[in-house]
Amino acid sequence: MIDKKVLYEEILPSVSQPARYVGNELNSVRRSPKEVEASILLAFPDVYEVGMSYIGFKILYEIVNNIPEFVAERAFAPWPDMEAQMRLREIPLYGLETYEPAKSFDVIGFTLQYELTYTNVLAMLELAGVPLEADARHEGDPIVIAGGPCASNPEPMAAFFDLLVTGDGEEAIVDLMSEVARAKREGAKRADIVNRLAVIDGVYCPRLKNPVSRRVVTDLDEAEFPRKFVVPFLEAVHDRVALEVMRGCTRGCRFCQAGMIYRPVRERGLDSLCSLAKDLVKSTGYDEISLLSLSSADYTQVEELSRKLVQEYADKGVAVSLPSLRVDSFSLELAKELEKSRRTGLTFAPEAGTQRMRDVINKGVTEEDLMSAAADAFESGWDLIKLYFMIGLPYEEDEDLDGIADLSRRVLELGRNMAGKRNKAGRVRVNVSVSSFVPKPHTPFQWHAQNSREELMRKQNYLKERMRVRGLTVSFHNVEASFLEAAFARGGRELAPAIARAAALGCRFDGWSDQFRPDLWAQAFKDVGIDPSAWANKSYAYDEPLPWDHIDMGVSKRFLVREAERAARAELTPDCRTGACAACGACADGVKTRLAGEAWR
Amino acid sequence: MVLRVRITKGEEARFISHLGFMRAFERAIRRAEIPVAYSEGYHPLPKFSFATALGVGISSEAEYVDIQIDPDGPKISVEEAFDALDRNMPPGIAVVAACWYLGKPALASLIEYASYRASGCGALHEAAEEFMAMDASLGTITTKSGKKEEDIRKLVYSISMTDDESLEFICACGGRAHLRPDNLLVHLSSIAGIECDVKRSRIHRTGLFVVEDGELVSPMDYKCKDLVIAKGWMPRELS
Repeated sequence: MIDKKVLYEEILPSVSQPARYVGNELNSVRRSPKEVEASILLAFPDVYEVGMSYIGFKILYEIVNNIPEFVAERAFAPWPDMEAQMRLREIPLYGLETYEPAKSFDVIGFTLQYELTYTNVLAMLELAGVPLEADARHEGDPIVIAGGPCASNPEPMAAFFDLLVTGDGEEAIVDLMSEVARAKREGAKRADIVNRLAVIDGVYCPRLKNPVSRRVVTDLDEAEFPRKFVVPFLEAVHDRVALEVMRGCTRGCRFCQAGMIYRPVRERGLDSLCSLAKDLVKSTGYDEISLLSLSSADYTQVEELSRKLVQEYADKGVAVSLPSLRVDSFSLELAKELEKSRRTGLTFAPEAGTQRMRDVINKGVTEEDLMSAAADAFESGWDLIKLYFMIGLPYEEDEDLDGIADLSRRVLELGRNMAGKRNKAGRVRVNVSVSSFVPKPHTPFQWHAQNSREELMRKQNYLKERMRVRGLTVSFHNVEASFLEAAFARGGRELAPAIARAAALGCRFDGWSDQFRPDLWAQAFKDVGIDPSAWANKSYAYDEPLPWDHIDMGVSKRFLVREAERAARAELTPDCRTGACAACGACADGVKTRLAGEAWR
Repeated sequence: MVLRVRITKGEEARFISHLGFMRAFERAIRRAEIPVAYSEGYHPLPKFSFATALGVGISSEAEYVDIQIDPDGPKISVEEAFDALDRNMPPGIAVVAACWYLGKPALASLIEYASYRASGCGALHEAAEEFMAMDASLGTITTKSGKKEEDIRKLVYSISMTDDESLEFICACGGRAHLRPDNLLVHLSSIAGIECDVKRSRIHRTGLFVVEDGELVSPMDYKCKDLVIAKGWMPRELS
């Protein structure tokens, strides 16, 4: 165990948000890593409040800890003030449950949720006292693995992991832990254990560079979902009962990686969701249930489910919410039902400003949809609407930027007119958030270059000038950060030295605008002689090998090419739940679309 | 009906912020299915109120909370509420006493004094005696609006020294007059002429007090009935 006295008496009184580093939360599991057959430290390379918001992280924690022979603990990236204290007083990274050093676990498993956490991974490994490069690890070092969406192109980080798990983790983690336990019983050496784990389905070993097919859970009702969550004392970003109503989305937005790699749609049944909600409210005491998925309004029985939940919990002070809304009046009707008790802004994501552009990205939304949903919202008394757009999309012209400005202003005008009837025109606000398109692996846009940073800056300024209207607030994502994200999303192994150098220079929390240091990143790339634009701003040809070709995430390259071609012609591809099958390749071997309340074929 | 409970904030919970502590309590109320009254409006909130905030890093065995019970809800006894709440508290927080409060004034407005124990303060014993013998002693205190100069002596009710190098003291607490315990330790250190890294001193709150007929009494001895106390637990603030 680490020196708890030093932690409690010397360190914690002097750092910000000390509760991040204490653990001891309700429903956390304390079981000595030394007394079990296999132990894993689930490591989230961002701050506690962010990591504690991810449902995948909670699912893995619960699954492992439900098996008495195993244990999972948690570790998060310490904020820079805490990291400095830990280094100064020689406190290693530790598990929040039993304060055992990270190095004493059999496995350290990182969640790679987004690219801008990569330097935090390295900082955590260094704090753990584990060699950064997989090749440099020896007998006695934990096996360092990772999973999550970024494992779909693991190459830029490949040097730092012994293994990566692709696809759904529910079954894979049990396979991994079981094999670790078995190998340990047989007295296997570390290198042998790594080799034995490398042959598990869905597991990728960077040293072997083995072609791998992602794991996929065929039936979510059969998959384990937590009946209790660890309840943070700090307010997590998403601090509520999150019910994953379904996995996957087949709307087919061509920029969206999640919409491709989590195919096909698999819905949980109504009854199991109600039962989960009941247990989770009881075990956590949360005052909100959120229906979670990539597009919850698409859940087949969303009306019935929300009605049931509202009926059950309204008088118990528990609200029901939908995190994402479709741009249509159906969603709005639903929001009205649910938001009875809560009045925050409504968010719509038209993503692009013109019909042609929305067709290019296969966002099946028309201007009419948006205006009628917005009218409905203003009519119902909302006076804040948030709009999400993207710039730098393939085939974008300046007139598409004009479209973003026009559409935003029209929504504002509409709101003013409608609220004007109640003499509340001055209260109407439209917040527009504009991000820069990042081409992602396994999407139809994976071959496209990201716009140069200069071009993205020009587009941001172009929009700024056209959106200077009272009541309209525009915010932009940092261009340098989106550029890095693109380089790491689409890069190969060559990038690893740059990440290591940036971490050594002190880059941390690159996704946090107040921590991000583009100057240090520029120096890091210069020091190692790598130009990130060779990845971010490079177009790949269809027949050119891609750094992630050996990772099969379900959708076939043929499908992605077809979709890329349709994008070029601004042709829509219908959702396979209602339209024809687009032959994306995700359904195979018993994996298929499973809808709630439908007799499964 | 108002249920008054006394809860602890133990060693492992002392780094939780006051807001986090309140949230943890709110969730415990919900898990325990206490028939609490809710506020009206779009966002109904359970009606409960804490006596006073506690600084981050300070542990306590005397946090008081009043819970408004829904008159139309199921009937509940003090024992039942005590057990249900205690079972549903997160680690580091325990219920040590509960009772019905029959008075009118809000809990926060009743509290006038708090007692603390600060350990590792042997070096301050002489300064404490000197300080208590003064009629007035000007020092810096922290208020909501920032730091200001104030007569600290008049904010301190008593100080006693213990054999284990601790200081036990009772000082003003609440809306009318308030002294943070770390402010007193810094002040005593300056009298003693020593550096005091107050962030590192271990401070523990032992009690909160209402003044009734010039006497300091526990909020549970003030217009309360049906007091239930945890087995084996003894309030130490007046020992």
